[in-house]
Amino acid sequence: MDVLKKILKFISSMRFAIILLLVLAFACSIGSLIPQGNTYAWYYSNYSERTAAIILALHLDDAFHSWWFILITAFLCINLLACNITRFPSLVRRTKKYMSSLSEAPGDLNATFEGSPEEVFKKMGMKAPKESKDSSRRVLYSCKNVAGLWGAWFCHLGVLLLILGYALGQMTYKEYTVYGVPGDIKKIGDTSLVLSIDDFKVSLREDDTVEQYTADITVYDLEHSSEGQSAQISVNHPADLYGLRFYQNSTGWAAKISVEKGGEALQSSVVCAGDYLVFSDNPDLIVYFNAFYPDYVMIQGSGPATRSGSLNNPAYLYSVYYQGQILGMNVLMTDDVLTIDDYTVTFSEPQSYTLIQIKRDSFTFLAFIGGVVIMAGLFLAFYVQVCSLQAVEGEDGVWTFTGSCKKSNMVFRNKFKEVFNSDLKEKEKNV
Amino acid sequence: MFEIENTLFTIVMFSYLAAMLLYFFYVAIKKEGLSKVAFGIQIFGFVLHTAAIICRGIGAGRLPLTNQYEFATSFAWGLCLLSLIFIFRYRFYVMGAFVSPVIFLLIGYAAMQSREVRDLMPALRSNWLGIHVSTAIIAYGAFGVAFVLGIIFLLRDKLKEKGFLDQHIPEKEKLDLIEYRSVALGILFLSFTIITGSIWAERAWGSYWSWDPKETWSLITWLIYAVYLHLRIRRGYQGKSAAIFAVAGFICVLFTYVGVNTLIPGLHSYG
Repeated sequence: MDVLKKILKFISSMRFAIILLLVLAFACSIGSLIPQGNTYAWYYSNYSERTAAIILALHLDDAFHSWWFILITAFLCINLLACNITRFPSLVRRTKKYMSSLSEAPGDLNATFEGSPEEVFKKMGMKAPKESKDSSRRVLYSCKNVAGLWGAWFCHLGVLLLILGYALGQMTYKEYTVYGVPGDIKKIGDTSLVLSIDDFKVSLREDDTVEQYTADITVYDLEHSSEGQSAQISVNHPADLYGLRFYQNSTGWAAKISVEKGGEALQSSVVCAGDYLVFSDNPDLIVYFNAFYPDYVMIQGSGPATRSGSLNNPAYLYSVYYQGQILGMNVLMTDDVLTIDDYTVTFSEPQSYTLIQIKRDSFTFLAFIGGVVIMAGLFLAFYVQVCSLQAVEGEDGVWTFTGSCKKSNMVFRNKFKEVFNSDLKEKEKNV
Repeated sequence: MFEIENTLFTIVMFSYLAAMLLYFFYVAIKKEGLSKVAFGIQIFGFVLHTAAIICRGIGAGRLPLTNQYEFATSFAWGLCLLSLIFIFRYRFYVMGAFVSPVIFLLIGYAAMQSREVRDLMPALRSNWLGIHVSTAIIAYGAFGVAFVLGIIFLLRDKLKEKGFLDQHIPEKEKLDLIEYRSVALGILFLSFTIITGSIWAERAWGSYWSWDPKETWSLITWLIYAVYLHLRIRRGYQGKSAAIFAVAGFICVLFTYVGVNTLIPGLHSYG
């Protein structure tokens, strides 16, 4: 039982909190210094075999989602929760004591004063004092900023809410991406919704740099209504439709790929760079659209590139696959024709496509509340200092003051000295 | 406007250099008047520095808080502002001899960066930019002051008793209190920076936390200062241990700013 108590005490202790904060900081630094989320082969090609094996064995390649990182965070949550639970009764007691008790007013500063004690309370910036009723002597007491006692408690609560909100969000969030060109209608993942890309504009500045990407979209719920909900989205301006949030994420180039067989049109569709076209009458044959160069130039030693973002000399980098095996790779200009046996393939009508990210994270609000509570807690802890001042009337009519301020005792002490010294000086002047 | 900015920037550099040298002379030849002159020149430099930043903002037609040069000069500005406040508030002029080299190094680092004005990429075109970066500047400035105070605290024991520095540097208890106040201000603003950054990231990238290196190192910095705050209230660990963490925290701040931008690519690679 004693051992259990000791363990519980340690888990809720500040020492454990400090250890966890340091371990967490170290874990985060590891996660930021080792590139995350690459393939096993990447680690073996970029590190020595031994180092790569250690990285993969310890899940350092996905440190922030690894079991040990989650374990550290879980321990931190337990520590914060235990700390807040164990401190709660004593904080309530202390708050009550500060608010009501006169005799237990803590104070390590003492001074005597002749005259109106209310004046001293005022000079010390305290509220009008309460007077004791259960004592034969007159005792005046005032305290301020009792909420300051709760600063650390609220800060811990905020961190807990933040971690909880993030963890629940990670476990339950839904994310989809849809890309396409104006006119495309695409299904959104496993939902009953479809997204229509009504328009997409890339606003360029005079120097060809991008100012903004804007997409006009309409979302339809096929199961419930034929009426859609429309919105305009751009970077930094997402839209909420059907409980999902739509983000204008990024853009790229797309082109129309037309296939003819024996001189007759076989198929034609708009394909985004990075995507491929499967031949409709021969699924083993695939044309992969690797990249697009709007102002194509071939640089010796480094390969194809673009001089600008303008469509001055459009070129298409493609590769052809048959049954998964690459047959060839080359650059095709707009008027060029690619011939594969009976098929002829042409690339044309280059245009920008939009990539729209769609998310639902029902717990973002919890993380946000956590952030606000942390801020409030820090403010209370640092700038709302609980101070108390008590005055006891002596038989000779001299008041004895005792005062204390929890965290800024030095500031309070200076003020205390200042008030009583100025009073002494005033008296000396009068004498 | 950029010509005015360049001229002001050069005067600012020389002002900070002059202030630094005067603070050194003040400590070396122990002449009280020099501290006031150094402080005055630091204020002069700060005023021109503010004017230079405003000129750049007008010239660029946006808040000048987006690239390495702009943030470095703003970082130096923030540290200068906070150090002026702390020096004046506590009449602690010796601090100037410790903080002015850091300000000079920061402004020197800014001078080495490209001053080319580039238009903002779409993700940076947000009202959150001003709130997020300006709070970071205050936070970093406050941590810079805490770093200097931490160093002074650690050197305090090595000073000759009743010597000039011994008499012009506050007692350890007061030093610890001033250091705590600067860390408190810093962590409050850093928390606000992280929270506003998260809100902005959610709107721009669809995720309020992506473990981007800049985000991660801001969190590491926050954790180090959280350790500082906890240590400070633990018996036996106040003072020296806390001062070590105030110094370590600022090293994290510098890594978050310079190291992350130059060594680790991420979403914040532009700044």
